[in-house]
Amino acid sequence: MVEIFQKLYEMTALSNIIADPSFIVMYLIAFLLLYLGIVKHYEPLLLIPIGFGVLIANFPGGDMGVLQAAEDGTIVKDGVTYIIWEMSLPAIAHDLGLMNFLYYMLIKTGFLPPVIFMGVGALTDFGPMLRNLRLAIFGAAAQFGIFLVLICAVLMGFTLKEAASLGIIGGADGPTAIFTTIKLAPHLLGPIAIAAYSYMALVPVIIPLVVKLTCSKKELMINMKEQDKKFPAKNEIKNMRVIKIIFPIAVTTIVAIFVPTAVSLIGMLMFGNLLKEIGSDTSRLFDTISNSIMNTATVFLGLCVGATMTAEAFLNWTTIGIIIGGFLAFALSITAGISMVKLMNLFVKKKINPLIGATGLSAVPMASRVCNEIATKYDPKNHVLNYCMSSNISGVIGSAVAAGVLIKFLS
Amino acid sequence: MENGMVEALQLLVVGMLTVFLILLIVIYLGKGLIALVNRFAPAEQVPQKKMAVMSSGASAVDAQTKAIIAAAVNQLTGGKGQVKKIEKV
Repeated sequence: MVEIFQKLYEMTALSNIIADPSFIVMYLIAFLLLYLGIVKHYEPLLLIPIGFGVLIANFPGGDMGVLQAAEDGTIVKDGVTYIIWEMSLPAIAHDLGLMNFLYYMLIKTGFLPPVIFMGVGALTDFGPMLRNLRLAIFGAAAQFGIFLVLICAVLMGFTLKEAASLGIIGGADGPTAIFTTIKLAPHLLGPIAIAAYSYMALVPVIIPLVVKLTCSKKELMINMKEQDKKFPAKNEIKNMRVIKIIFPIAVTTIVAIFVPTAVSLIGMLMFGNLLKEIGSDTSRLFDTISNSIMNTATVFLGLCVGATMTAEAFLNWTTIGIIIGGFLAFALSITAGISMVKLMNLFVKKKINPLIGATGLSAVPMASRVCNEIATKYDPKNHVLNYCMSSNISGVIGSAVAAGVLIKFLS
Repeated sequence: MENGMVEALQLLVVGMLTVFLILLIVIYLGKGLIALVNRFAPAEQVPQKKMAVMSSGASAVDAQTKAIIAAAVNQLTGGKGQVKKIEKV
């Protein structure tokens, strides 16, 4: 009888969990992510699948945790060595489990982030950017945090590839961060995705904090509409529909020529946007990519990213470095955007509210909404949302280009 | 480490220059497109917005919009909030 109970005990995950309490820490992390997603509504579409992925990946014997392959493609499981590049997909599913099958098919190939970018493109309106083109330059300034944190991370002892993956969190763009990390440092995918999405969810806290530290009340009260009245734009757009259709095609062509490694992201973003702008002729495709495909991709991306966070891969000092570095990257990107506005205001007559620089990092549209709230707090009639959206959307292009540069030079 | 630092600094310079260059190109491309389209494409025909069924004395917000806003406020505040005034900013 005792033997039967002994076997039953060994059959469950309990024996392994008691032998290695680090699993319990992972369950607590999973519960925390689920709590943040369900109760606090922080990025629920991502944090809930990621949290659940973490949970199911950390039950010993469940075979749901992602096993990271070494650079030569070797994976050791239960004492058996596999070469992942020589395995067929059914063999991966059979020998390494369902989650490894999904991970190596959808994530490791770099398939899902561009698919999500396609959906993001379908949901993006380039109108505000086209109406305020000069503000789009702040989307470039705000990428400074990426490269500065890259340097800090190298000083902390990260390898260049790891440092680049850490720095890209400052782009505040989940799919871009995931895409870069898959290419450069796949073993850090879990903590980097978590840091990226957590800080994106914390944009309403981080932006006001940086703005408070760097901007004066007078600067925050600069009214963009009044500036527009004082210094009206020279070129009024007479046919926005035509421009919106040509723009994604033209941008893809230009980016493809200069930074071909960014095309998988920018190209898909612009393709999604083109389908949206064409209108009724492609409405069925637009509907599919912005709903069914994007939602399916989000589910699998979240679950797979969560499943990379096994106790062994996640509970180490590197993760803590990523959490700190990610925050630094975010804060520095916002500061760089604000600083560029301040610098520009020294030389131009048409003054710009520094909040427009703060939205140069991606996190569309939350960053713009937060900055609009800050502006209206100082002056209830000062709505800067449309102006912020210009730098916010250009930030998406900027971070994808930065990712393309990092991948080109480091992979 | 030293090698890594040199490469990291190079990446900073190359990366920021590329991002600025691409976005400058995008900006001027946009400006060029606007100029071209303004010149060659016919001006967009903006359809006249159908006026809401409103009598001359009716309020600026129709009943359906009011009901939608009230329902949203009710949902968000758990029934505690009340809509007293709707103003277009």
